[in-house]
Amino acid sequence: MALLEVEALTKSFGGVTAIADLSFDVPPGQVYSVIGPNGAGKTTLFNMLSGIYHPDDGSIRFMDQGVVGRQPHQVAALGVSRTFQNLQMFFNMSVLDNVMVGCHLRTRTGLFSAALRLPRIKREEKLSRQWAREALAICHLDKFIGQEAGSLPYGVLKRLEIARALAVEPKLLLMDEPAAGLNDTETLEMRKLIRRICESGITVLLVEHNMGLVMQVSDRILVLDYGSRLAEGTPVEIQNDRRVIEAYLGGEVQYAL
Amino acid sequence: MRRLAGLCLLATIVVVLPILFPDNYYVTVVGVTALLHAILAVSLNLLMGYAGQISLGHAAFFGIGAYTSAILTTRYGWDPWAAIMAGLALTGLVSFLVSRPILRLKGHYLAMATLGLGIIINIILVQGDQLTGGPDGLGGIPTLSLFGWALDTDLRWYWMMGATLLGVVWLALNIIDSRSGRALRALHGSEVAAEMMGINTTAAKTGVFVLAALIASLAGGLFCHQQSFISPDSFNFFFSIELVTMVVLGGMASTYGAVFGALILTLLPELLVVFEDFEVMIFGAILMLMMIFLPQGLFVGLQNLVLRWLNRRRSAAFGAVGE
Amino acid sequence: MFDQILQFVLTGVTVGATYALVALGFSIIYNASDVVNFAQGEFVMMGAMSAIAMSAGDGIPVFLSLPLAVLVTIGVGILLQRFAIAPARGASVVTTIIITIGASIFLRGVALLLWGKSIFAMPHFSGEQPIHIGKATLLPQNLWVMGGAAFLVLGVHWFFNHTTLGKAILACSCNRTAAQLVGINVGMMMLIAYGLSAFLGAMAGILVTPITFTSYDAGVMLGLKGFSAAILGGFGNPMGAVAGGILLGLIESLAAGLISSGYKDAIGFIILLLVLFFRPSGLFGKATSERV
Repeated sequence: MALLEVEALTKSFGGVTAIADLSFDVPPGQVYSVIGPNGAGKTTLFNMLSGIYHPDDGSIRFMDQGVVGRQPHQVAALGVSRTFQNLQMFFNMSVLDNVMVGCHLRTRTGLFSAALRLPRIKREEKLSRQWAREALAICHLDKFIGQEAGSLPYGVLKRLEIARALAVEPKLLLMDEPAAGLNDTETLEMRKLIRRICESGITVLLVEHNMGLVMQVSDRILVLDYGSRLAEGTPVEIQNDRRVIEAYLGGEVQYAL
Repeated sequence: MRRLAGLCLLATIVVVLPILFPDNYYVTVVGVTALLHAILAVSLNLLMGYAGQISLGHAAFFGIGAYTSAILTTRYGWDPWAAIMAGLALTGLVSFLVSRPILRLKGHYLAMATLGLGIIINIILVQGDQLTGGPDGLGGIPTLSLFGWALDTDLRWYWMMGATLLGVVWLALNIIDSRSGRALRALHGSEVAAEMMGINTTAAKTGVFVLAALIASLAGGLFCHQQSFISPDSFNFFFSIELVTMVVLGGMASTYGAVFGALILTLLPELLVVFEDFEVMIFGAILMLMMIFLPQGLFVGLQNLVLRWLNRRRSAAFGAVGE
Repeated sequence: MFDQILQFVLTGVTVGATYALVALGFSIIYNASDVVNFAQGEFVMMGAMSAIAMSAGDGIPVFLSLPLAVLVTIGVGILLQRFAIAPARGASVVTTIIITIGASIFLRGVALLLWGKSIFAMPHFSGEQPIHIGKATLLPQNLWVMGGAAFLVLGVHWFFNHTTLGKAILACSCNRTAAQLVGINVGMMMLIAYGLSAFLGAMAGILVTPITFTSYDAGVMLGLKGFSAAILGGFGNPMGAVAGGILLGLIESLAAGLISSGYKDAIGFIILLLVLFFRPSGLFGKATSERV
């Protein structure tokens, strides 16, 4: 059974259709990529999957629960986490604190017990710190732990965002262009990281422009064009799909594996 | 325990000052006001500095606390402590009711809405003269007593305010360094990312707004019994602005910064009195200059300078080998 | 009843026209530099006070003192930009707010020093013979305020839409770097924007003071009302600010006449809050959504 089922999803902004009657299923335990030219509606799709936008029509089901109509924090509670295309770090906080925010749903204490520093706060803080360290370790960020997020270079921030999302312990991780702006070494590392995340049992839904990365890391690929589905299949199927090749002017997908 | 080192230092200063100078005007009179302002600034800093929600109407909640307690004790003969509790309850209710629609707003719109709210409440204080005494104010407010110990001297009030400030600072430090506090700082950094981490940002904003209002209300309750006379002028738009200035002047998102800012802004007019006619002008000029040259705030700015200096000394001592 | 309401409307439009000019000043500065200038009300006070001071006693005649007062205020606006706003570029919104509040306190302090706490009057431009419209009456000065404000608003509108200079300022507000790259002197444009804003404030002060009088702290409430009006109309939308100003003036005048004069300011702010609750970006503001 699919982890995420999207059916007949439609969204338009002031007459411009961003997503039109889109349906697809994401099976669990895979890296599932969504590609398409700029303006194909990929980020809009992500924003609907995470509850930031509400679709005009259609349904999104995650582990058999409806997503449409829920606030982003409620969607997160279902087990969906994400990273952002333009970094949305908490630049006013340290690296460790950033990732500890990710542990929000795994902890319970409220404003009141925090104000009085009840003993359970201490226990919870210790646990959160430990979880955050683990998430940072997965992303090879251990050495930045004491720094302020605002002082880090771009490539590190990209991974920090992933660490923060992992601290949520999601079942599905939405990654919006994790390799954008990265150099070749960093991209390679990102590829390994995505595979590691997938192998740890987290399903990854990936939006990415770097075709090399997409073809190497994905189990299945969905190609969007003007908000609708152009093709769907394994990387090999996609590379040999005539419509895809035409849409990409025949050039971009033909690269050496 | 390192976490509370600053608090211990603050406590030492608060305790030692009146022991060294028990009859000094600047300690027992100006000092009490400074402590009161510090309580208010720390509460506003939770909302503004940490959660990033500007409020230009914080004095209103200070006013609700003060007037509720003053009216209940003078007109209905309530016990002052019960009256302060009633003030807290009313403030909690009002702030909770307005928080949802107001905190949906952002940036300048939020600034305007909180400013408007403050002015509306102040106008109610001025106009509702049957209850509030109108612009002439309300007098004859009884003083507080604590375990049969009447707070009837400046020095006793100093201890009361000092203890309250230390309690509030302790509370604030605890909150900031917790799951709830991180949630507040996170929604300041990026609201959408905070939501994606599972934080109910609406609830978090409401929580901190009500909490800040309650602390201000408590300060108001203490203030009216300390002064024994209050008028709407103490809770007007200018005072709200003054509170914001204290927070920004000290340095946003620093609890000790807020205390420091409150101290500076309380002392400054006292010191400028010697300039007589030039007082207002110089006050404005100092405000501008400080914000132009230390935009991150006096306390935080100085703190950074000291840290940088210490770092340089340390790296010099270890024969710096670079990053 | 009808005549009474007509009277309230006429008064409301006059007051609203002043608010509109102040609000327009807020919008221009906000658009040019992302700063909420809390000293905007002080421009109004400065314009009126310096005109009165120059003509007082054996001073210079009114037809000279008025333009001179306007020039003085423009100078104040330019100095404010040059020495308080420009050095703090890149500071946070709250920091710039405190800077302009500092500036407004400073200007009030200067006025207090020069002219004391007295309330000053200014002669009407063309007599005080009331004009009757039905049972409602109107002073010639009311017409001056309305006409003057309308003229200035149209002028500003024309300036931003039909002159190269106006468009250059708009370009700076859209994209500072791009404006610089096409050779616009951004610093100069900022000075002009602040000067223009101060000019509008001074004009508002000169037009309305014969009716309302003035004092060193007259700018405070006007500044707040102007800011309210700009927000009501949708911050950053100049014509929205004008509409917001007139609307706020009307609401206050009707509230004062029909409900309670003591609560008129409160009612104005309550309506402002209600508008914001239902339209979080003002009446004519563009709804912005966060891009992620």
